[in-house]
Amino acid sequence: MSEAAAGPADRLAALEAELADVRAELDDLNLLYQATIEHGEAVEDQLAEANLALTVTQKRLSEELTEAANYIFSILPEPRTTAPRTEWLLEPSTELGGDSFGYHQIDPDHMAFYLLDVCGHGVGAALLSVTAINVLRSAALPNTDFRDPGAVLSALNDAFPMERQNNMYFTIWYGVLKRSTGELRYASGGHPPSVLRKADGSVQTLATPGIAIGMMEAMRYRTAHCNVAAGDRLHLVSDGTFEVETAPGEMLEFQTFVERLARSETPREMLDWVRGLNGPGPLPDDFSLLNIDF
Amino acid sequence: MTSLNHETVNGALVLKPARRIDSNSAKAFEDDAAALLENGPKKVVIDATDLDYISSAGLRVILTTAKKAKSAGGGLTIACAKNNVKEVLAVSGFDNIFGLHDSVAQAISALA
Repeated sequence: MSEAAAGPADRLAALEAELADVRAELDDLNLLYQATIEHGEAVEDQLAEANLALTVTQKRLSEELTEAANYIFSILPEPRTTAPRTEWLLEPSTELGGDSFGYHQIDPDHMAFYLLDVCGHGVGAALLSVTAINVLRSAALPNTDFRDPGAVLSALNDAFPMERQNNMYFTIWYGVLKRSTGELRYASGGHPPSVLRKADGSVQTLATPGIAIGMMEAMRYRTAHCNVAAGDRLHLVSDGTFEVETAPGEMLEFQTFVERLARSETPREMLDWVRGLNGPGPLPDDFSLLNIDF
Repeated sequence: MTSLNHETVNGALVLKPARRIDSNSAKAFEDDAAALLENGPKKVVIDATDLDYISSAGLRVILTTAKKAKSAGGGLTIACAKNNVKEVLAVSGFDNIFGLHDSVAQAISALA
C-alpha cells in the first residue's frame, strides 16, 4: 500500500527536481545568450572603431602619396619654348613611379638632357628617382665634369651602389649638347637608346654599352658623340613607352616603336598609340617621353 | 624540389628557364637558382634556348644569381638567346658583362 502511495509521490518529486534542473539550465543558457549578445555588440563596436581608424589612416596615406606624386611632377622642368625646344609626357603606371627626367644649362655653351628609370614602382623607387635627378641638377658629384656623360654615369655608379639603395638601381640616358658646334655627347646605362630623327628624315638610335647604375661596382661608362643641327629632333624614352603586349605573349618590337616614334608629332600621340596597342587598363610600366627639337 | 629545368654539365650548373622570366616567374627562378647554387657547382650557364621573353624583373634575378655565383668563387654567362631576348640583353648591357654564347659548350668553356 505504502509502496503504491509512495510511487506517484516519488515520481512527482523526481519530475519536479528534473523541472528545476531544466529551469536552471534555461536560466544559464539565457545568461550565456545575454552575455554573447553583449559581447557581440562590444566586438561590433570595436570593429567599427577599427574601421574608422583604418579609413582615416588610408585617407592620410593616400593624401601623402598624392603629395609625393605632386612633388615629383614639381621637379620636372617646364617645357622650353626656345631652341632647343622641349615637350614631354610622364604617365605613371601606378600612383608613384620610378621615372623622371630633366634638362638644364651646365654653362652658357653646354646643355644636359637626361631621363632615368628606377627599377620597380612605389615610394622607394620614387625617392631614389628624385634623389638622382637632384644630384644631376645640382651637379652634386665629387670631381666630375658634368659635360662628360661617361664620367657622370661612372660617378653616379660609384655614388649609388644597389647594396646601399635597398637593392634598387636605375637605368639612364644622359646627353650634353655643345651649342656652339652642335656636338651631342652621350652615354647610357642599361637604358633604351634615344632616337634621333634628322631633318632629312633619317633615323639613328643613340646608346652606349653599359649596365644600369648601381648594379655593379667600379663600372666605367663610355662617352659617344654625334652631331645635331637645327631641324633635328631627339626622343628620350623609358622602356615603359614600348614594353607592351600587342597580343598575348607578343611584345611590341623596339624597331616598330622607333619607326612609329620617328613619324610622331607629340608625346601625347605616342601615348595614345601605345595605349591602343596595350588594350584597356593601365600600362604595365611608367610611360616617359621627352622630345627635344634642336 | 625546384621546378627550374637544370643539369650539371662538365662541372657547370646549366639553368634552362622556360618561356618567360617576368615579374610573375622571377621570384621562383631566383629561389630555385639560389638553392641549386647552394648545393651545386658555382659556375652557372643560363641556357636561353626556350626563353621567349625576359622583363626587367628577369634581368634583376639574373643579376642577383650572377652575384651569388661570383661571391661563391664562380661566375655566370648566357647561351643560345633568341633575337628578341638578345635585344633586351644588349639594351641592359648584360651582353657585355656576362657574355653571350652560341652554345652551352662554348659558354661552359668561357667560364673555365
